[in-house]
Amino acid sequence: MSTHSLTKAALRAEGLPRRRATNRLMELLAWLAAAVAMGFLVLIVWSVARRGWSELNLDLITKSPASGFLTTGRQGLANAFAGTLVIVLLATLMALPTGILVAVYLNEFAQRAIRDAVSIALDVLNGVPAIVIGIFVYGLFVLGHGPSAFAGSFALAVIMLPLVARSTMEVLALVPGALREASLALGVPRWRTTLSVVLPQTVGGIVTGTTLAVARAAGETAPLLFTSSVGVGTQVHWTPHHPLQSVPVAIFELSESPDPKDHARAWAAALVLLVFILLASLSARWLATRHRSRLGTSR
Amino acid sequence: MPKVGTFTRMLALAAATATLAVAAAATAGAASTMSSGTTISGAGSTFVYPLVATWTPAIGGALGFELQYSPIGSSGGINAVTGRTVDFGASDAPLSPDQFTACKGCTQIPWALAATSVMYNLPGVKNLLHMDGPTLAKIFAGRISQWNDPAIKKLNPGVTLPSTKITIAHRSDGSGTTYNFTDYLSSVSPAWKSQVGRGTSVNWPVGVGGRGSAGVSAIVAQTQGAIGYADVAFALQNHFSYFAMKNRNGKFATPGAKGILAAAMSDVKPTAGTNELSIVNPPRKFPLAYPISTYTYVIVPLQSSKAPDLRKFLFWAVTHGQEPKYTAKLRFVPIPRSVLVVAEKAIAKIHS
Amino acid sequence: MSAAGLAPDETRRPLEGRRVRFGDLALQGVAGAAAAAATAVVGLIAWKVIEGAWPSVTTFGFHFVTRIAWNPVVGREVFGAASFLFGTAVTSLVALALAGPLAIAVALFLTELAPRVLRAPVTALVETLAAVPSVVIGLWGIYVLGPILRDHVEPSLHSTLGFLPLFGPPSSSGSSVFTATVVLAMMILPIVASITRELFLGVPRELKEGALALGTTRWEMVRGVMVPYARGGIAAALILGLGRAVGEAIAVTQVIGGGVFIHWNLFDTGDTLASKIAESYQGAATNLEVSSLVYLALILLVFSLLANLSAQWVVRRVARRQGVGLARGRAG
Repeated sequence: MSTHSLTKAALRAEGLPRRRATNRLMELLAWLAAAVAMGFLVLIVWSVARRGWSELNLDLITKSPASGFLTTGRQGLANAFAGTLVIVLLATLMALPTGILVAVYLNEFAQRAIRDAVSIALDVLNGVPAIVIGIFVYGLFVLGHGPSAFAGSFALAVIMLPLVARSTMEVLALVPGALREASLALGVPRWRTTLSVVLPQTVGGIVTGTTLAVARAAGETAPLLFTSSVGVGTQVHWTPHHPLQSVPVAIFELSESPDPKDHARAWAAALVLLVFILLASLSARWLATRHRSRLGTSR
Repeated sequence: MPKVGTFTRMLALAAATATLAVAAAATAGAASTMSSGTTISGAGSTFVYPLVATWTPAIGGALGFELQYSPIGSSGGINAVTGRTVDFGASDAPLSPDQFTACKGCTQIPWALAATSVMYNLPGVKNLLHMDGPTLAKIFAGRISQWNDPAIKKLNPGVTLPSTKITIAHRSDGSGTTYNFTDYLSSVSPAWKSQVGRGTSVNWPVGVGGRGSAGVSAIVAQTQGAIGYADVAFALQNHFSYFAMKNRNGKFATPGAKGILAAAMSDVKPTAGTNELSIVNPPRKFPLAYPISTYTYVIVPLQSSKAPDLRKFLFWAVTHGQEPKYTAKLRFVPIPRSVLVVAEKAIAKIHS
Repeated sequence: MSAAGLAPDETRRPLEGRRVRFGDLALQGVAGAAAAAATAVVGLIAWKVIEGAWPSVTTFGFHFVTRIAWNPVVGREVFGAASFLFGTAVTSLVALALAGPLAIAVALFLTELAPRVLRAPVTALVETLAAVPSVVIGLWGIYVLGPILRDHVEPSLHSTLGFLPLFGPPSSSGSSVFTATVVLAMMILPIVASITRELFLGVPRELKEGALALGTTRWEMVRGVMVPYARGGIAAALILGLGRAVGEAIAVTQVIGGGVFIHWNLFDTGDTLASKIAESYQGAATNLEVSSLVYLALILLVFSLLANLSAQWVVRRVARRQGVGLARGRAG
């Protein structure tokens, strides 16, 4: 008798066919569930792509919304795209240096207790709902000073900060301690070591983290609704001390309109936003893998 | 050791670029504000938004301002002007004494006159179905939930009504249109008055909420059998059907120029101090009056750094802004002379 | 995080036995200030929210949480959070119940079942979908999902399962608690799926192969080895997904329809804490209403803090336990 049939007989005695059937069933269910989930997700992207594509034209970015009611004619969302550019840029300028500094402090200077405490605080900050941040910045800046793109940028910076800090921390941790020690042994002062030796190794990771944070911030609606949506004009403005229209808020307002032409512009703007975020996420991940492999080979 | 110093150089370069960029932006910003002329910002009523939006390009030409108006609802407008986050607020609901106090020296000026239409989406059924106040109150209270209810059939003999479910579309934000509409329902239905009452925001017994008149219109557009309320300009923009409402005289009136003007005749003297006017559900002697008409107000601080421009803007609004080329298509009616006089006196009081 | 990469403790104390340079102090000072500011922001948020909610807290006290009311009519003002708490609970928990198992299945699919050539693109798809802005999902919810649910899904659910109060008469406008729940499920799914996928990838090969060598079927291996190993992480992922759902305001307010009541019918309209705030904040009629909305934000903040902290706690506990287990495994 071959070993194979011995084993088979033994296994059959333990109910292998039933277990195999269960296994088959579970695999089928898993495939089915994955198909359903994937189907839904693909449906969203497909809807946005299809509806947005047919309405996409250069007018969207170059023309302003029509001022007037019951108007016909070509209009776009130029003011929203300009506003988003300004607001997100300002937010990045606020969040990027702060996030890097926080990560540097936690990784290079802080004692364990402080590191844990600030880490927890960052994770908590990451979990605060965007609408609560909107109310927070409203109470902090808008009451008394009026809505402004600055306030909106601050709100987005608060959202971006934990993302930048965390990804910078992760790459700082990947830099080998030996590198730091070697630099210090050569007499390079601490601060110079950090800035000129350690941080350059992390540039890739920082860029990745920032790109992801920017992708997130560009799509946030709630914080801007509270800080930079009242008193926006239809013309293109670049002044951050005024409230500026932004793409997510524009999509939100257009989505609630009864006019199908407004919906068309909303889909087109959504497509542009989605493509931007897609490109940002994908390039961030590509950078991350490239950076990680480069760091790996440099050891 | 890899690239010592290069990073520091990059850092310095980045910092310099950032500073330059911010500086450039700031200068450009300052320059653009100066060269593009004044901007006057306002927020509030979605009811008056069609008219203000129509004024905006004209004002750009006639007065050189850029008008920035955000239709966030009357309550939002009152809050915004109270917090001085905008230059003027617009509300269809007159300010209460508490709101006047909170606004710290604001004046309320009636600057436009129109009507709230009760719009419906019922394909295959004609426009201008008849409706009266008590029945409408019952519908909005949820006690009548189908289109072929006997009460509706009685008002519209000879019209075949389907059994479609009625979906109510109401405002979810603080709205002067809601104030006007619930004011009307409270005056025609004691049950409504005690159960729900009147306000810019009420506890709606049934229905789906939308933000702004646009939001309500969107719900009506998407839902068969829906009934909603909004400024008549929105009904026109979306080619909705709307009801002919039975007034106190027993006639069924429509929210057009004649109906609104007749209603306006029922109160031509703004209350001293608040400049308030109430023309909802006018008495019997106005047979053509549409019973859900309303004035809408602009709320301005008496003392403002932009006083000269505000005065210019408001004078234009209550005179040129009332011309048929702006108002006729949207079914706004020019404010009567007696109201215009009071308005102009109030505008003159704005100082820097 | 490898201990090897953290600056070793000796280099962390520049003031010990080393010339104190101004640059070192400056960097530590500036960086420390940044860290302090980041921590302070959390406290500042809590303070501002409590400050804004205070008038309502003093007026209504704790009963606010149990009252079903939202009447802004002047003279009859009374506000309460109960209906919104109910809405938040129903939408988030049902969304988690729908998305959680699906997400785990997707993660399993991506790590065990999918043909190798599919794995990278599908993973990229899932991670991209985590980044879709909520306003876009809301837009899709209003004009694509809503009509599908209203015209096809809800009537059939009502006719087959209508005896359950959950599946009462279908909505007429497409805006309903059900639509909001599905939208939330779509937002939770990619998050939980990508975290779970990484967890499954982290299950040591030896454990999996050992089980298979013992003759288990793949399913038995998953059930007996992978899931228990990743159990803590999956719990944390689910809690994080729940926190995300609880805090989502924009997409929910676009599709939920509004209303201040507690109905069991999923096809009715309703409101959650976050969507009520988004809907009413700009147009709040009175100061008490504004303060009550911030009170809602306070409750929301407390919930999301709880979700966040408990997820963190679970992760730390699991990391500690797994670290020990790994050490033991290696030594053995």
